[in-house]
Amino acid sequence: MDIFLQQVVNGLIIGSIYALVALGYTMVYGVMKLINFAHGDLVALSAYIGLMFYTQLIGMGVMPQSMVVIMVFVLTALVAAAVALLVERVAYRPLRTAPRLSAVVSALGASMMIQNGIMLIWGPNITIFPSDILPAASWTVYGISITFVQAAMIIITLVLMVSLTLFINYTKMGTAIRASAINQDVAKLMGINVNMIIMIIFVVGAVLGSVGGLFIGMYYRGISFNLGWIYGLNAFIAAILGGIGNIPGSMVGGYMLGLFTALIAGYVSSSWAEAFTFILLILILIVRPTGILGERVAEKV
Amino acid sequence: MKNKAFIGYAVLFAFLALFPVVNDPRWLTVVTTFCIYSVVALSLDIVLGRAGMFDMGHALFFGMGAYITAVLNVHFGLNILWALPLVVIIPALFAIILSTPIVHLRGDYLLVATIGMNIVFEQALKNDLFGLTGGPNGIFGLDATVFGFYLDDGLTIYYIAFFLLLFTLLMIRNLEKSKVGRALHYIQEDPIAAESLGISTRFYRVFSFALGAALAGLAGFVFSIQYAAVSPEAFNFMTSVIFFAIVLVGGKASIPGILAGTFIMFVLPEIFREFATARYFVFGLAMVVSMILRPEGMFPAKYGKLPKYVTED
Repeated sequence: MDIFLQQVVNGLIIGSIYALVALGYTMVYGVMKLINFAHGDLVALSAYIGLMFYTQLIGMGVMPQSMVVIMVFVLTALVAAAVALLVERVAYRPLRTAPRLSAVVSALGASMMIQNGIMLIWGPNITIFPSDILPAASWTVYGISITFVQAAMIIITLVLMVSLTLFINYTKMGTAIRASAINQDVAKLMGINVNMIIMIIFVVGAVLGSVGGLFIGMYYRGISFNLGWIYGLNAFIAAILGGIGNIPGSMVGGYMLGLFTALIAGYVSSSWAEAFTFILLILILIVRPTGILGERVAEKV
Repeated sequence: MKNKAFIGYAVLFAFLALFPVVNDPRWLTVVTTFCIYSVVALSLDIVLGRAGMFDMGHALFFGMGAYITAVLNVHFGLNILWALPLVVIIPALFAIILSTPIVHLRGDYLLVATIGMNIVFEQALKNDLFGLTGGPNGIFGLDATVFGFYLDDGLTIYYIAFFLLLFTLLMIRNLEKSKVGRALHYIQEDPIAAESLGISTRFYRVFSFALGAALAGLAGFVFSIQYAAVSPEAFNFMTSVIFFAIVLVGGKASIPGILAGTFIMFVLPEIFREFATARYFVFGLAMVVSMILRPEGMFPAKYGKLPKYVTED
């Protein structure tokens, strides 16, 4: 029983990361109908950038640890947002009116550039995150041990998700985003600056993804240049499971996938975990072709 | 126009047929690989370019052909000729079984499902499925002896690959002119209109998957003979992504485009070996730039809504 609960906690942690990253995919897909393959690599880049900021700030030695950590999160989010805007401007904007597959190839190209750019700068080997970024405290509740890192991850993820939901549902900008997701042309007629909306969703997605990237570094400690493919693909599956383009769906999908992979890794085999994930995905797609919370899309006639 | 294309192909085939005169083993290997990869890219084009289905897991069928050959030869001691029918039939059967439930999915969902199949395949290979696939290292030591001849010299393998490419191009030419080719074309233009004309979209979509898989399996057969070994890396998801990019960078349903795409992705890197570490970075850049400059691909297929021979007379 303890093992089961421990795996559930692990699942919630992985699920938090997947959910954070999945939101970046789902928002871009919702408005642009484009799989932003570069998003996963942006998450990887965030982990490396964050580590760089951390070593720099600690080296300066003028700020208390907690301040350094907050600064790392903020600075990394800023850099991630800037890179996301650059990718959008260079690789996606010129292709808005082009055939959809061209944009997919351009996205793959951008992804390969970021991934291999990381490799060229930081090298192909695993880079280690220091273990003392967050306090090493841990608590035991009903026989399950929860570390400070885990608790922080779950709480920060929940706070971010609630804020995003409030932002999308109750602000003017959020309404504009939802309108653009339904029909860009009509949104334009209503005076919405769709270019602006697209930039905002790229920024919001990148900020959430950068938090996910830093979590990956702090939780797993070892990061490598190609982690974007692995986490990006899983997060993308999470988005598809929940129904891509659907924000609550991606959160549910993220946690579901996290729990599923943790339980498979705990009870079946970790070397087959990826295969099981995809088998689950294919089975769900056969039953519900647009994901669990995805809307039924009418075929054009 | 027709003459220009004819001359182009004549020059290409003459060049490829006479290429071994160069007599440089390294370049012979490179051009052999070019022929094999071109066949895989052309087979993917049947699914992606002609039937219009986003298949990003095509290396799966390529790998299946290679692994069937290696397993039969190394583990069961059968002559590679025994593998020849199986590398066509088994990938085609798998394609039918795997694609039937998913061909109706919307584009991006299909893309992810096919990525998934490729990754499941890769994990099966790495986890030494049934103790046959040899785990992460793959299988070594194929014995490619046919009628007493041992196929280990580059020249023989080169000509096998060359004839495979010729065969594929002939087959695709026939496909273009056949009922199936026209049906696929209309399905891509407008599936609902095609359905209402009595074309079974599901049948032809599954058919295109099976045909593409059979050809890719055949290419895998030659690939495994060329290297006398197989390993999971050659058939992973990244390989599928590159084939996917070749078809779209070259131009969907366009044979010159796909041959040019394969040349750029697989042969040019051999010329610029010194940039080996930056290779994929440059690939990525090339993909973005070429899509911005030519969103339809380098040599887009030149036909209107209807194939020319329908309107010609």
